[in-house]
Amino acid sequence: MVKILIDGNAIEVKEETSILEAAEQAGIFIPHLCFHPALTPEGNCRMCLVEIEGFPELELACSTKVADGMKISTQSEKVTEARKSMLEFLLAEHPLDCPICDKAGECKLQDYYDDYGLFDSKFNEKKEKKEKKVPIGKNLILDRERCIMCSCCVRFLREITHTQELGILQRGIHSEIGIYEGMPINNNYSGNLVDLCPVGAITDKDFRFKTRSWLLNRRDSICPLCSRGCNITIEYFHGFSRFEELKKVYRIKPRENLKVNGFWICDFGRYNYYYLYEDRMKGITYKKIEKESQMTWENTLNFISEKIKSLYHENKTSRIALICSSWLSNEELFLLKKIFKDDLEIENIYLVDPLQGESDGLLLTSDRSPNTRGAKEIGIKTMPLNIGTLSKETDLIIICGYFLVDHLKQEELKVMLKSIETKVLLTAHNSELDSFMDIVLPIALIAEKDGSLTNTDGFVQYFSSALKLPGESRPEWKIFIDLAKRLRLNPAYYNKFSSIKDIQKQIREEIPFFEEEIE
Amino acid sequence: MTEKLLTKHFGTENLFRIDVYLKLNGYQSARKAVLEMMPEEILNEVKAANLRGRGGAGFPAGVKWAFIPKDVQKPKYLCVNADEGEPGTFKDRYIMNHNPHLLLEGIIIASFCVGINTAFIYIRGEYEMVAKRLEQAIAEAYANGFLGKKVFGSDFHLEVIVHRGAGAYICGEETALLESIEGKPGNPRLKPPFPASIGLFKCPTVVNNVETLSNMPFIIAFGAEKFRRLGLQNDGGTRIFSVSGKVKEPGIYELPTGISLREIIFNHAGGIQEGKRLKAVIPGGISAPILKADEIDIHMDFDLLIEAKSMLGSAAIIVIDEDTSILDVLKIITTFYSHESCGKCSPCRIGNSWIHKIVMRIKEGKGEKDDIENIIRLASNMVGKTLCPLGDAAGMAILTIMEKFMKEIESCIEN
Repeated sequence: MVKILIDGNAIEVKEETSILEAAEQAGIFIPHLCFHPALTPEGNCRMCLVEIEGFPELELACSTKVADGMKISTQSEKVTEARKSMLEFLLAEHPLDCPICDKAGECKLQDYYDDYGLFDSKFNEKKEKKEKKVPIGKNLILDRERCIMCSCCVRFLREITHTQELGILQRGIHSEIGIYEGMPINNNYSGNLVDLCPVGAITDKDFRFKTRSWLLNRRDSICPLCSRGCNITIEYFHGFSRFEELKKVYRIKPRENLKVNGFWICDFGRYNYYYLYEDRMKGITYKKIEKESQMTWENTLNFISEKIKSLYHENKTSRIALICSSWLSNEELFLLKKIFKDDLEIENIYLVDPLQGESDGLLLTSDRSPNTRGAKEIGIKTMPLNIGTLSKETDLIIICGYFLVDHLKQEELKVMLKSIETKVLLTAHNSELDSFMDIVLPIALIAEKDGSLTNTDGFVQYFSSALKLPGESRPEWKIFIDLAKRLRLNPAYYNKFSSIKDIQKQIREEIPFFEEEIE
Repeated sequence: MTEKLLTKHFGTENLFRIDVYLKLNGYQSARKAVLEMMPEEILNEVKAANLRGRGGAGFPAGVKWAFIPKDVQKPKYLCVNADEGEPGTFKDRYIMNHNPHLLLEGIIIASFCVGINTAFIYIRGEYEMVAKRLEQAIAEAYANGFLGKKVFGSDFHLEVIVHRGAGAYICGEETALLESIEGKPGNPRLKPPFPASIGLFKCPTVVNNVETLSNMPFIIAFGAEKFRRLGLQNDGGTRIFSVSGKVKEPGIYELPTGISLREIIFNHAGGIQEGKRLKAVIPGGISAPILKADEIDIHMDFDLLIEAKSMLGSAAIIVIDEDTSILDVLKIITTFYSHESCGKCSPCRIGNSWIHKIVMRIKEGKGEKDDIENIIRLASNMVGKTLCPLGDAAGMAILTIMEKFMKEIESCIEN
């Protein structure tokens, strides 16, 4: 450990810590544009200059390591003047087209001018003219006039993805970021460049000109599109939308978690957010009832519970089958196992997940379900799906999720489901399965409910609902508790659960794996 | 007459040929160093000689060598800085063109002393003929067994490779030079780490100027004491001054370090052309802050020039006469720096370009009142805040001109 003094605050930090990071630990923010904790410092923006006692010149906070007894000033006149002058340089050649820039509102150059600049422009010359709309990747547009040459994008592609699509071309004032001709940025992490860019130089085709950043609401969530469980922020907006009527979610951004996803998310998780509002199942379908007004949760759940009860009393629970998926949260899988396996002693429990994809070697895993590990730890034992037996020996089938369609052809589905008397589907999306069902219940997505997921490395990650539930949909855990209560199974046990926290507490008590609460 | 140790034999016909060089006792020092001396002995000798780097920064050569860690498993490299990009400087070209074997001898001594087996000569792209001459000299040295597997029959092996630059001034900055040899754009690196610990291909590296290394044969042959005593002030040895501009006899002059600037201009270079009056002198390449005519009674010594708020730099003396407009000087300097800034750090990239744009506007007759104030502010904001010395040097050079010739520039704007 090293003892230093920053702006009069004595702090102790680990050796080899940079001044910038040491200051952050002391709660002192040093402005910076080219520094990123995951990238090798390059010291080119010169915004983080600080004064160190005994040093003749200002030194870079991003690359200078702390030394015992160092006395650092981040607020001296020399430092504030230097910051101002660096901003003056950067803004001199900046197009200042903030009113039409997508980064406006979340641009570091804008923020820093407000915090450390506030000078009048003394630049009376002609600004350099550069290209303003260079396509550099599948979702990326580069504006070379806005670029401040911080090189974060170049370093990210060199050090994180190792794909090196970007480089710095030309020299001096003509320096610019560029790709090799005909070789755009096509890797699965390209979207991170938009987040990394401190200004509006790299913008996202998916987000460009659609809304303004300050209109967006931000909620934390977990990406459910693979078993990594990357921490994300969902940015949405319920107000006016100029382009697509339906569009509410405008973008997904990574949320820092060094144990799981670092600072990044993959493009697969970033751009596939349309599932949040497209093809959503919003209402209840109950084929046996004609009047739509009677298709209520009350009626349908009653019907299902009565059906289960009658089979149970006839000792025919073996004629009940359940198809669930690892898209269910730990809490839901836990309840499901309690109710169907432990209480009703149903053996026919199948786990049907989306088809495996390809891992990209960085974050995206081949397993495209968010909670396979959770299902394993909770003890959902699965059996191979036997279409023949299932269709002949089942009176009631309850399906959570539509992933069967990934595994079975339309014909096979028909064969399997045709002879089953009662078919119930809990789904968040419309699919070919719907037409085969007697009852279809709309459910919540991960982004719309509370719960936890266990990622591929065994980290249990808790989340709260980020988005409103569409239509009549409900989270499965609430449905399961409701059902358990209607079945009058072990009332003392299920009546305890009034919130997700109660279930989580119960899981921790019952399953050693979940004992430790890790965030 | 002062003793010359670098240019002594420049008049000799075909000096660049190894047979001629050998007849003048060539390669005796390198042979002595490799066969008779211990590396430690050589290092002590070079340290005692008080030889300060001739590239511009004037860092003591022996101290620089001593920074190389001894117990590393990685290879170590010598990079000879023959980029000679500082405007006004042309001494290294003379050495390499006339006496390439002197440099090769210096390379052998330095490499043996530090324990280096590969040396790169990074030569500026424009020096095409010189590069060919070096290649030829290297081939001769290999053929004579002075380079290659068994240097002078010893166990010491040394490869020398000529690497031609592509025309960027910044590649004379040592870390940009390393980047360039590695095949990357010549942009300076953040220091620390310094090349002595992490240099070429991440290995310990010595970067020495051509003239610095060319002094080694003399130090080994005649000893540190004699070398040190050649200097008139604090620094040891002689210095090759490249004199250009409005003097009667521009050219290179090898003179003792510490000689006065007035003496060089008026006694050696023949004074100002056409009997004009001296206006100003840039004493160490254009990065060195300008001196006015009344400031030239100064000894050309690293420390003394720093005291005078200028610098000895590469000892390139650019003489400016009364007929030259200081605005033209400023225009040339700012054009050069804005063109040569690598663009990596923002103050240098934008500062130099901005100042250049203002100067060009003044030059077009569209100068405005606050231009002077702006140039001064921008130049001061570059000094001490850029990633490498280029921005510092540009800032200082421009600031000094503005301060010392404020009136003339003001009149340029007014008229």
